[in-house]
Amino acid sequence: MQGVGVPAAVAPPTTAPRRGRRAQTRSRQQSSPAGRIGLGIAVAALLLFTLLPAYWMISTAFDKNAAFRGADLVPSGWTLDNFDKVFSDDTFGLYLRNSLLVAGVTVIAGAMVTLLAAVAVARFQFKFRTAVIVMILIVQMVPLEALVIPLFIQVRQYGALNSLLALSVVYIAFSLPFGIWMLRGFVAAIPKEIEEAAYVDGAGWWRMFFSVLLPLVAPGLVATSVFSFITAWNEFIFALTFMQDDEKYTVTVGLQKFFGQNTAEWGPIMAASTVISVPVIVFFTIAQRRISSGLTAGGVKG
Amino acid sequence: MVDTQRLSRTTRPWLLLAPALVVLGALLIWPLVRVVQLSLQDFTLSNLVSGEDNYIGFDNYTELLSSPLLWKTVLPNTVVFALVCVVGTVSLGTAVALLLNRLGPVWKWICSTAVMVAWAVPALTGTYVWVWLFDPLDGLVSHVLNALGLFDPSTTNWFTDRVSFYAIAALNVIHHGFPFVAITVLAGLVTVPSELYEAAEIDGANARKRFWSITVPILKPVFAVVTILSTIWDFKVFTQIYLMPGGSGGNDQVLNLGVWSYQQSFAQGEYGKGSAIAVLLTVLLLLITGVYLRTLFKEKEL
Repeated sequence: MQGVGVPAAVAPPTTAPRRGRRAQTRSRQQSSPAGRIGLGIAVAALLLFTLLPAYWMISTAFDKNAAFRGADLVPSGWTLDNFDKVFSDDTFGLYLRNSLLVAGVTVIAGAMVTLLAAVAVARFQFKFRTAVIVMILIVQMVPLEALVIPLFIQVRQYGALNSLLALSVVYIAFSLPFGIWMLRGFVAAIPKEIEEAAYVDGAGWWRMFFSVLLPLVAPGLVATSVFSFITAWNEFIFALTFMQDDEKYTVTVGLQKFFGQNTAEWGPIMAASTVISVPVIVFFTIAQRRISSGLTAGGVKG
Repeated sequence: MVDTQRLSRTTRPWLLLAPALVVLGALLIWPLVRVVQLSLQDFTLSNLVSGEDNYIGFDNYTELLSSPLLWKTVLPNTVVFALVCVVGTVSLGTAVALLLNRLGPVWKWICSTAVMVAWAVPALTGTYVWVWLFDPLDGLVSHVLNALGLFDPSTTNWFTDRVSFYAIAALNVIHHGFPFVAITVLAGLVTVPSELYEAAEIDGANARKRFWSITVPILKPVFAVVTILSTIWDFKVFTQIYLMPGGSGGNDQVLNLGVWSYQQSFAQGEYGKGSAIAVLLTVLLLLITGVYLRTLFKEKEL
């Protein structure tokens, strides 16, 4: 999805004092009845606009007469038939398994690579440090759509088409720049004194890394992992190009092929879409606070 | 002892960075070089099989730049669509951030969760839902408009017409893209000292004036970043166009640069021509980013 891979050169300063709670409360009390009605209308419009697609997807998935739904805001009857249809042969389950594998490898291997690089950038002064940071920011600007042709040719030459591992490696590369940028802020926020205390206790650098830095930066790792999971789970073009055998499709490619065969069978299509989207929505909303703090963490320090 | 410590201090950051640099170099930077090489070749399916290069100089570019399809259809589709989406995303995102900033804790939580849901729905499934909502025969929108007497489903298919096709795509992209802007601008709004607003209020400035003379100047860097990122994303929208009816190349009228490049390469087997289009897209993006950055540096905002 677009928002993921959120390259964030985004750096609104977060250190400035929060707007006083008192001031906020007062400005709310001051608002006139007309102002409050306006606010209510704005909130209603916002909720309608933001939630309508997700609601329509989920309610169609459970609708008995999905195809003839028309303008009925509530399904005429509830059913699990659409999900039954999606899972009736094993292929969709296979696609789910493939996507989970790819996303799992991307998250775990990606987290290690990202963390090491983030620590290097946040904790060490070295020659070309600025150059490395600038390069990381610039590679975010490269449109992945332009890389799909050379990467396809290369992957094909290595005989790695249809390889879930090859796809994961590509996704790691895509989620790296943003992950490094975001984690850098989290690492920089850890006081250096805690590290030094570990040295005083006789720990070497790697010992300190695993027993001090790693646990402290874990919340940041969760935030970057959510992003890389979503990147891998949602990615479409590369999966479409690399995965050429039916049994190697990820969910996004599988759904696209499914859609091609069943145009206008909206019930099953929405059921499959629900299965694909709901884990991401749940994940994302749970991690919501970490994500917003992660978006700003990149610019705090370092 | 001291010497080995110094040595490890200089080599350690590079050791930590090495995996990330290898991945970025092999999967982002090298393919970028390759796509430029490929754009100078007549690279077709037979070259893909033999693996042999076939340089032809700038022929692909001459052909591309003299193609009426580029000037009359693809470039306008790409540029106008991106402009509409950027303006829509940034203004809607800002409006929502201002709204969230005025709400009490409970409604703020409800609304920001809804905004997160809009962000989290994958581009792929989100696109299917919008296509379903606008399905000419059975979709919610057609039914509502038909009931209002504004639309005759039997004579209109808005997916075949260029303008209505892109209007639906813009709705989809703005819906998916505004949450990022809203969350980022909200993070910035919190940092604006409330005294400034209070002083302006005493001076008799109304809400609109306070927004334009306080909020906008202070948050200029934040607006700059979200505008740059939205521009980059909206110029290379792929999934949302490719998955709409006719969007994958079936209808020339709705091609954009990203889809055209993909279609030339993977449907026509003309990898050289596809690469030339991809390079054009990349150059356009770099130019836009460059112009933005120059203005920013001139004004010393970054």
